[in-house]
Amino acid sequence: MQLRVAERMGRVRWIFLPLGLCALVAVGAHAAADVVGDRVLWCVDRVDAFFDALFASWSVTAPLVDLVGLSQRTFFARAVALVWELCADALIAVPILNYQERAAAQEWQLARALLRKKPTPQRLVRPAATLLVAVAGACAVARMVRGSVQLGAHSSLLSHLLAAGTLLALLALLVPRAVFRSLEHADQKERAVSVGVFGTALLLPLMLAALFASPLLSFFR
Amino acid sequence: MKGASSGARYSMIVPTELLLAALCLWAAWYHTPAGALVRTAGAWFFKTRSTARPLLSYYGAGVYQPRTAPPPLLAAPVPPTQALGYGAWAVFSEENRQGESPAAMSAQIKLLSSRLAGSDAAAMLALFCGEESARFALGQAGAEARLDELARELPPRSADCVAQASQALMQAGAYALAWPLPESVRITSPFGIREHPVFGVRRLHAGVDLGTPVGTPVRAVAAGVVRRASSDGVNGSIVVLDHGRGVVTLYCHNDELLVHDGQRVQRGQIISHSGNTGRSTGPHLHYQLDLAGEAVDPLRYRAGHPKTAAAAASD
Repeated sequence: MQLRVAERMGRVRWIFLPLGLCALVAVGAHAAADVVGDRVLWCVDRVDAFFDALFASWSVTAPLVDLVGLSQRTFFARAVALVWELCADALIAVPILNYQERAAAQEWQLARALLRKKPTPQRLVRPAATLLVAVAGACAVARMVRGSVQLGAHSSLLSHLLAAGTLLALLALLVPRAVFRSLEHADQKERAVSVGVFGTALLLPLMLAALFASPLLSFFR
Repeated sequence: MKGASSGARYSMIVPTELLLAALCLWAAWYHTPAGALVRTAGAWFFKTRSTARPLLSYYGAGVYQPRTAPPPLLAAPVPPTQALGYGAWAVFSEENRQGESPAAMSAQIKLLSSRLAGSDAAAMLALFCGEESARFALGQAGAEARLDELARELPPRSADCVAQASQALMQAGAYALAWPLPESVRITSPFGIREHPVFGVRRLHAGVDLGTPVGTPVRAVAAGVVRRASSDGVNGSIVVLDHGRGVVTLYCHNDELLVHDGQRVQRGQIISHSGNTGRSTGPHLHYQLDLAGEAVDPLRYRAGHPKTAAAAASD
């Protein structure tokens, strides 16, 4: 009976699994972009100060100093974070939707073949970024579970157990799959050098940010 | 036998994957701008009302959003120790909720703070979201956590009360501010729409101009971090102080800056000497208060504030 239910679920696996993987990476990308908001604001401040000094040098351009005034920097910093996050989503989350359902043995064989290929920046950066971002996403999802169970069921033990269980399950079942899909996609798109350079420049800081957004140990204290 | 065990494993893994995928979709739906985009597009397609927040409000854990209405007028000066109570009172007043007096709220917040490791952010969270939520968030994020860090620990359904708590904390930050120059210094140009004295176009004057001789010491209105200390031909020598909780103050047209980027300053510390630099028609200090990135009238947060030149002339 249990097997029959699982089989029925298995038939729609090709729909829910890519959606879940894409959502996991999107959540991680947001957690990473959100946690470095202060740094983005700092960068916007520096750029704004530079352009203010430049534009203020001539009377024709002087009004532009107030066009991007002191009050708009927070707006700009958040807009930069939003664009950065959406670009990251387009690079590493959306391609996961192109999912192919395969047997586990076949998948494992393909993964080994891909890992044996010569490493290139694309093949290294995309899966590494997907790994770190997906781990940050797993932490964010587990944190939501912990908060919801704690404030719904009022049980600290239950909330911590469920959060740790969710995190472990995500790390074991969905994160490796997302990384594998990313490696597969990087292999297919390897010739697109411009996308590769742009993607690497975009994903490297996101990888660092994802590290800050992954308080893994907090779930096991 | 082997087939039976792999079948059992399959029967466990597929439902777990389904559950995990559902959890990820739930988190993405409520917690990401991408989810908000999908929700907004769905609402547009089905001609329903979207519950998604504006895209940019998903950063900073969604806290510290600009206020929709000006705060209520003050009858008397705000005692610095009651600023938190005034912040909560301002939010209750905006929502037409019958709250207690600012003094009573201040006492309540102090009591909550003493029970919550002395954290003002957690106390404000407790006032609006309940003590259990605040205690839980504090336990996860730590006693030194800011409100945005506490908010990240709470589930999506807490978004509304977190927004109220952040608004109250931000207002409290504004009520607690000192004044950059002696109270006797006159305001030569108030906050509001005016004709720009140099560019000649009507635009918002985003701060108040305080007429004062060159070289007057300018003091930090609260403790904070120097976010910018630079010079340009329009604002002159400028200092931007970030006081946290969405409160930022700006000091323009200075003669000399005494602080540098990233420096931590104390309330009352001299940060510059006023001047007449940049596009300025006379020696003055342009003092500006930004809440959640939006310029507000600093006089709305002060009772018995310095008189404007016009008001003083009519006396």
